[in-house]
Amino acid sequence: MKETLKVLNELKEKGLIQDYAIGGAIAALRWIEPFFTQDLDVFILLKDEDDKKEEVIDLSPIYEYLKGKGYEWKGHWIMIEGVPVDIFPADPLEKEAIEQAQEVEYEGVKTKVIVPEYLITLFLKAGRDKDLRKIEMLLEQCDVDRQKLEGILNRHNLNKEFKDFEEKRYGR
Amino acid sequence: MEGKRILIGDRVLSRQDLFQQKEGTRRERAKLSFEEKVKILVNLQRLAHHWGRRKDIIIWKIS
Repeated sequence: MKETLKVLNELKEKGLIQDYAIGGAIAALRWIEPFFTQDLDVFILLKDEDDKKEEVIDLSPIYEYLKGKGYEWKGHWIMIEGVPVDIFPADPLEKEAIEQAQEVEYEGVKTKVIVPEYLITLFLKAGRDKDLRKIEMLLEQCDVDRQKLEGILNRHNLNKEFKDFEEKRYGR
Repeated sequence: MEGKRILIGDRVLSRQDLFQQKEGTRRERAKLSFEEKVKILVNLQRLAHHWGRRKDIIIWKIS
């Protein structure tokens, strides 16, 4: 894992990406009790993304670089130092989540992890049962800044979805 | 059942107390370091792979 993070940091240092943050279940794991998961989701910001108007997001340089280092595909994952990684180019919500992610250290290696308020919004947007269960765990096990969460939900028009979720899960 | 008390050694608890304690433990576990949590995750992957016979599960390398 430590070595995997070093490689992700390398992508940034080499200018292949502008920034990245860990999302998904591993980010949730940072904030809540340990649970089973299989892969490491990484959201990336590409260089000069705002200037580009193309319809196609080209991740080939990243994958070429990783391939050149000897990392191979296993299904939809790229295996980086023994960890299956999924790399997602960020949409506007994820871009915000990366920018607001918390810098943390893992065994001395710096990395960024998406904070609970953004994770809740992202899981809500994904909307699968397993995502909604993670929202419950985040709400119950860590300190969520409700004001910040409401701001994010407002900006991304997910208020109604969150109200429906709360009503369904907590009857309120 | 709801109103019955539960005796554990010298402690007398309600079902609600038990669930509250369980919730407290989960919040405590949530405070473990990232490294410790990843170690637990890898043990869970190992468990699923070997004991759960899920040979498709990848056990992460963490060191």
